[in-house]
This record gives sequence, structure tokens and C-alpha cells, in this order.
Amino acid sequence: MKLSFEGVFFTYSTGVRALDGIDLSIGSGEFVAIVGENGAGKTTLVKLLNGLLRPDGGKVVVGNWDTAEYSTAQLAGRVGFLFQNPDEQLFERAVQREVAFGPRNLGFSERKIASKSMSALKTVGLADHAEDNPYDLAPFERKLLALAATLAMDTPVLVLDEPSIGQDAAGRRRIGRILRELHTMGSTILLISHDLDFCAEYAERAVVMANGHILADGLVEKIFAQNDLLQRAAVFPPQLVRLAQALKMPTAPLKVDQFVNAYSQWHRRKKRA
Amino acid sequence: MHGTLFVSGNSGLHRLHPLTKLALTFLFLVFAATLPNLLWLLAAFVILLVPMSAWGGLLRPFLRSCLVVITPFVISLSIIQGFFTPGETPLFHLAGFVLTGEGLLAGLTVASRILMALGGALLLMLSTRPDMLMLALTRSGLPGSLAYVVLTSIQIFPRFQERAQVILEAQQARGLEIKVNIFKRLRLLVPLMGPLVLSSIVDVEERAMALEARAFSRPGRKTSLLALADSPGQHLARWGLLLLMLALIGWSIWRAISS
Ligand SMILES: Nc1ncnc2c1ncn2[C@@H]1O[C@H](COP(=O)(O)OP(=O)(O)OP(=O)(O)O)[C@@H](O)[C@H]1O
Ligand SMILES: [Mg+2]
Repeated sequence: MKLSFEGVFFTYSTGVRALDGIDLSIGSGEFVAIVGENGAGKTTLVKLLNGLLRPDGGKVVVGNWDTAEYSTAQLAGRVGFLFQNPDEQLFERAVQREVAFGPRNLGFSERKIASKSMSALKTVGLADHAEDNPYDLAPFERKLLALAATLAMDTPVLVLDEPSIGQDAAGRRRIGRILRELHTMGSTILLISHDLDFCAEYAERAVVMANGHILADGLVEKIFAQNDLLQRAAVFPPQLVRLAQALKMPTAPLKVDQFVNAYSQWHRRKKRA
Repeated sequence: MHGTLFVSGNSGLHRLHPLTKLALTFLFLVFAATLPNLLWLLAAFVILLVPMSAWGGLLRPFLRSCLVVITPFVISLSIIQGFFTPGETPLFHLAGFVLTGEGLLAGLTVASRILMALGGALLLMLSTRPDMLMLALTRSGLPGSLAYVVLTSIQIFPRFQERAQVILEAQQARGLEIKVNIFKRLRLLVPLMGPLVLSSIVDVEERAMALEARAFSRPGRKTSLLALADSPGQHLARWGLLLLMLALIGWSIWRAISS
């Protein structure tokens, strides 16, 4: 599903101008990483997508809906949201019911609710915990539960605010794999993260924000290789990029296998020369 | 400051010693409980509290917070008291119930008492850094743990409000429709109150550990980075305020006995 921001401004009641003229359009099925320093306006930007915040100026469009004309609950059927802190949303006594809450709000049939919740729990690896109380889960499992609750809503657009934070290697890989799978099935994905290694591994396009503006927008390979740009946006470049630059390699591949290939080619060529 | 109502500034009100402001808050609380009728209460609010908030450069946040909190009370109290207090002056008929003038007045009086107490608390919270208040309380001999209790109870309102807002957003993002009729609204309480209570408990536990990690209950005198400015005048004023409170309480007891 297509998303677009047209000349969007947003100022909080405290007078902080969090978004200062944003123009951005995201095609259906794109996987976009949004990066930038603390307070750049990333969370504010995505909250406009489901009407949790309303722009002071400009227009935000989700598919063919102008968000100004729809309530958050309606937009929730199109834009799924994973918040940073799962404790702010879990309340049911059983994992299964927690996951069913969203689909039920969206008016799915009982059969669809059951099948969507179960498959979401399987996807995140919590199927064995369906009857447990969400508060008996470990914090990282609660985050996975919150993700399952979002997945079960079966929305064409998915927004994730720092999904990899607090996860160990297995959890991180699991979340990455889930995102990749959703991406191949055509979901439009917005990933907010300070973890550029994670972004580099899974996203295809990167939007760099600072001070309520968009500093740069393009393929992750191009954007993450620009040291000065990342420095201006106060984000830490991915490890592989820093390594490639330290070695003075001509390219900076973002995935380990690509890096290894590029390195051995470059190394061989250098030896011959 | 996050999680508090404090609005920074350098006005006379801001510079008053925290205990002086606390005494004023208690005085307004006594006002709320003892002033005899609506007229007195509103007069005290307009003549004392509103100018004081303006003195502190806090007129807008003060009035805004008062309005936000008091409106639901005004509406619900007027309806409940208005329809269920018998009286001589019927104002309005609805489905066999009568809204009486006496009832309406009673409802508004209770609401104005709440407004008075609320206003007093708001003046303190808006103009006083919480850590300054805590310091002032411990300096005057209150045990640290008790000062902490006072402080957290003052801060709990804005913290709750902030957290409730976040939870509300999270549930709306899961498709929860909140603009529904009153009966359905009751059902909303579970998804909203559940996380609120649980996350608050987690919060309390974490805070207790954070405090201990910083030697909160270590015996002995503690020093502070903050400097408190006091003056003999303010010291005297606080005793004056205390006497005034006692006098007001005495007066209202006398009124109760003699009527
Ligand atoms: N509820 C709020 N009220 C007032 N100001 C806010 C609020 N939320 C955010 N801000 C301010 O708006 C600006 C943008 O915040 P936002 O949360 O969008 O940044 P972010 O890019 O998501 O940062 P982070 O990486 O720290 O999550 C910041 O200056 C922030 O302090
Ligand atoms: Mg954020």
C-alpha cells in the first residue's frame, strides 16, 4: 500500500516543531528504514500514519485514504504499529487473547481471528505460550508478543519502532526473518532504528532525518556509505561500512557474504597490481 | 521537566521558599473545606489564586489545567446533585426527573471546593521544582522517606496522565474505537487500566531499586547541590498562614455548632 506525506508540518503543544516540511512518498511493498538522531522526528512522522497525531499543515495519505478523514481505529486496519514498550499495551490474561484483541477490534470473523492469531504466534515462536499470562513472559518475549499482536491484524502497512532493541542474537534474527518474509509477501514496511547494522541487513531504502527535515533518501547501500552524511545526522555507521572505509576498499557492501566476496576480489586485484 | 507539571521561570512565585508555597497550598485546601458558599469560594479563587498564577507567569497553564480537570466534575456534579436533591425551584424537566435550583447550586458548590483545592495544588506544582520541595521538607526535619512519599504523590498525577495517554494511543493503534457510547465506554477500562496499573507497579519497583542504588536509606545527614533561599519575612509569613488556617477551621467549627 502506498504512503505519502505532502508538505507536512507538526508542532507539539510545548512549541517543539518536530516536523518541518516533510515530503516523502513510499511505494507499495517498499521496505524503508528511517534513521536519525534522538529527537529527529521519526516517531512523530510515523504517528501521523495512523492518526495518533494530526499534521498542522500538509497531507498524509495511506493508500487512497487521506488520514484527516479517518479515525485512528479505522486507520489501524491499514497500518500496524509496533511500539517501543510492550508494557504499554498488554492487558489480557492469556497470550492468545492478547493477540486476538486487534483482529477483534477490526471486526474479523471468529474463524479469521483464531487463524490469524495462531499463525502470528507461530511466526514469532510463542505458539507454546498461547495459554500463558503475558506478564509471566520475559521482557523480550513480551516484545515478540506485541509483534504477534500487530501481525495478527494483517495490515498491508507495518511500522516498527526499534523492534530489535533488547533482543539477543536469536530474537534479532527472528525479527529480521519475519520482516523479510513480510516484505517478500508484499507488505509495506517502515523500520525505525538506531541499529544501522540491523537496517542495513534487512531494509532496501533509507530515509535520514534530522531536526524535523529529511536529510537524505535513497538505497541503503548508497546512504549508509556516506560518512559525512551519517555524521551530520548523528548516527553511527554500520560496522561493515567502517571496516570497508578503514581498509580503503572502493565499495562498502552491507551484508557479510557480499562483503567477503568484495573483499577477496579487491584483495586479489591489489596483490596482482 | 518530564513527568512533572513544573514550568520553569524566575518570577517571585518561583523564588518563594517551597515551604511558603506549601503553606499556601494547605491554606487553599482549608479554604476549600471551610468557606461557606459558592460566592466565597469563587471570589477567593478569582481574587487570590488567579492573580497568584499570573504573578508566576503561569496564568495559561494554570487555567488550562484547572479547566481540564474541573469540567467533568462540574458536569457530573451538576447533573447528579441537580436531579437528586429535592428543592423548591424546578428549573428543568427530563423524563420524569426535575432539575432543581437548590440541587444545581449544591453541585456547583462542591465543584468549586474541588476547584479551590486543585488550584492550590497546581500553584505549588507549576512553580516549584520537585527536588527543591523535597529538599525543603527534609531540611525542616521530615524523614527522607516521608518526603519522598509526599513528592511522589504530588507527581503521580502528571505521570499517570502521561502514561495513560501513551496507553490510549497504543490501544487505538490496535483498532480500539474510543469515541463510543457511555455503556461501551465502561468496557474500555480494561485495556486502558490494566497496563496503567501494571506498568505503574513495575515503575515503583524500579524506582525503589534506583533509589537504593544511590544510597537513599543511608543513615546520617545528607548534603545537597541545591541552594534554598529563605528570609525572615517568609518564615514569619508561614507562621501567619498557619494561624490563619487554624482560625478558619475554628470559625467553621463555631459556625457548625452555632447553627
Ligand atoms: N509528546 C510530546 N510532547 C512534546 N514534545 C515531544 C513529544 N514527543 C516528542 N517530542 C519532541 O519532538 C521532537 C521529535 O521527537 P520524536 O519522538 O519524533 O523523535 P525521534 O526521532 O523518534 O527520537 P528517538 O530516536 O529518541 O526516538 C523532539 O524534540 C521531542 O523532544
Ligand atoms: Mg522515537
